Amino acid sequence: MENMIQVVHLTKIYSGQVMAVRDVSFSVGEGETFGLLGPNGAGKTTIIMILTTLLKPTSGTARVAGIDVRENPYGVRLKLGYVSQDLAVDDNLTGWDNLYLQANFYHLPKNIIKKKCAEVLRLVGLEKRADDLVETYSGGMRKRLDLAAGLLHEPRALFLDEPTLGLDVQTRQQIWKYIEFLRSEKKMTVLLTTHYMEEAEKLCDRAAIIDRGEIKAIDAPDRLKEAIGGDLITISFSPGEEEKQEKALKAIEELPFVNGIESRQKNYVLLVKNSEKAIPSLFQVLNETGVKVENLNLKKPTLADVYLHFTGQELRDESWSKEQAIKSAAMRKRIRG
Amino acid sequence: MTWFADIYFVFWREMKRYFAHKTRIVTAVFQPLVWLVLLGSAMSGMVGGSMAKDLSEAENYLQFMTPGIMVMTALFSGMFSGNSLIWDRRIGFLNKMLAAPISRTTIPTGKVAAAAIQSMIQMVIIAAIATALGVRFTSGPLGLVLMVLIAGLFCCGISAISLSFAVFIKTPEGLHPILNFLSMPLLFTSNAIFPRAFMPGWLQGISAVNPMTYAVTPMRVLALEGWRWESVMPGLVFTLFFAAAACYLLSWVFGQHIR
Repeated sequence: MENMIQVVHLTKIYSGQVMAVRDVSFSVGEGETFGLLGPNGAGKTTIIMILTTLLKPTSGTARVAGIDVRENPYGVRLKLGYVSQDLAVDDNLTGWDNLYLQANFYHLPKNIIKKKCAEVLRLVGLEKRADDLVETYSGGMRKRLDLAAGLLHEPRALFLDEPTLGLDVQTRQQIWKYIEFLRSEKKMTVLLTTHYMEEAEKLCDRAAIIDRGEIKAIDAPDRLKEAIGGDLITISFSPGEEEKQEKALKAIEELPFVNGIESRQKNYVLLVKNSEKAIPSLFQVLNETGVKVENLNLKKPTLADVYLHFTGQELRDESWSKEQAIKSAAMRKRIRG
Repeated sequence: MTWFADIYFVFWREMKRYFAHKTRIVTAVFQPLVWLVLLGSAMSGMVGGSMAKDLSEAENYLQFMTPGIMVMTALFSGMFSGNSLIWDRRIGFLNKMLAAPISRTTIPTGKVAAAAIQSMIQMVIIAAIATALGVRFTSGPLGLVLMVLIAGLFCCGISAISLSFAVFIKTPEGLHPILNFLSMPLLFTSNAIFPRAFMPGWLQGISAVNPMTYAVTPMRVLALEGWRWESVMPGLVFTLFFAAAACYLLSWVFGQHIR
């Protein structure tokens, strides 16, 4: 597989102070769907903006379809489609006019513009609303229109920055369907950023975990999960009996299939290989020590656990307050200018 | 060729936006009309008679004021065109255009052209209403066309200055005070509303370097005196240079600071 996107030792420092991207390297093969996974402010958008020629890197190189973004930005622009997280559609135009404009910005031949616009409108299910002003559209419809605009010229590489940010569940699933369609039917290379674990898990062939501008791990979501070292069994003991509990934990630690124990609040989390087979032996040990178990829970690791594993912190901004989110968005805008 | 096509589509978008909200056109025309009708009528009463004729070389003040109000329309339209860049940046549309394979300079050029055409549409409406109020243009319909063109050129210059500010200033709250700070002094130190003969010496001095004066003067000659090329040419040429210089500044600033 040839590399459609190649990033080597990329670093971006804003106004000589804020290091948003720190020596990042990765490559995305042709036809691959690749995710950059991390919280707001991790540097995902900065990487996309460098790849789409909207920002110049401080150092390092980035290539799209073999073309260097610094040496030939115009050539790169011809190859790429870009859908930002901003819902960048013009409210004062109709849906059709938005697409018509985009088609002309990409210099599509006159005779196919109509056909292409109708085609992408059909794909995102907006053909009936095409002649309405976009200001009458819902957020989800705007996002679909924006995505349609990014597909008009059939780019070789499509960059999606937080494609489902702030969308309801139904629209999110629609968008996922389109992205899957692009991969399976159009063989398009897609680079997307997200802080939704589910999204990365569902869509990406490979994902990079990025934290404070650095890539911590790159692999297929399943392999990333394997890297954790097993399934997670959470045990909580009945209160009291500290002595028995300690004894039990010691015994558990010695079991061959247990890869580690971690205490989280009042619970203990065991990393276990082949958990289905391990559970009977685990119970046996617990019975022998006579400790009372209040709760036991077996969980296959998710990317959220993977994230925690690699960065030492939870991917937490889904639970942010609105004010925090606005503040951080405003801050990022200021930094990028 | 694609360069012109790209400018055309930037321009096309601005015009579509303009016509999508007819109320915006009405309000844009309404403000200068208020000036023309209310101020014009009141001033006509105040400076009526022979004194007005001596100083302003017009039959009445309304006649004198119409070209000035047309340039004022160009001034306001041009000043506000910086908004569109700020707005585009805010909604992410600027980045969308910048990620597209179009030349950087086409974006400001298309916006300047749209501002000029929009102001010219407003001026035609104002001229029509002025005609209904009894104003006559001595140089006839062709003279009116040239008047609108001169004011359109002036609008290009002002629009380019406004957009140049908008390259650096990222919020409407930041841009508006600057534009207000510029537009009122430009208006009142020019001969758009009052004849230069009314002004004290120091104000006449300022007026003589105000680009707005150079747009108003040839237009007023066309409106009041007719085809006197020797009086039209200096202002026309100056306005042409003013517009060209401002557009050059804009494309330079845009190229330097928006990548």
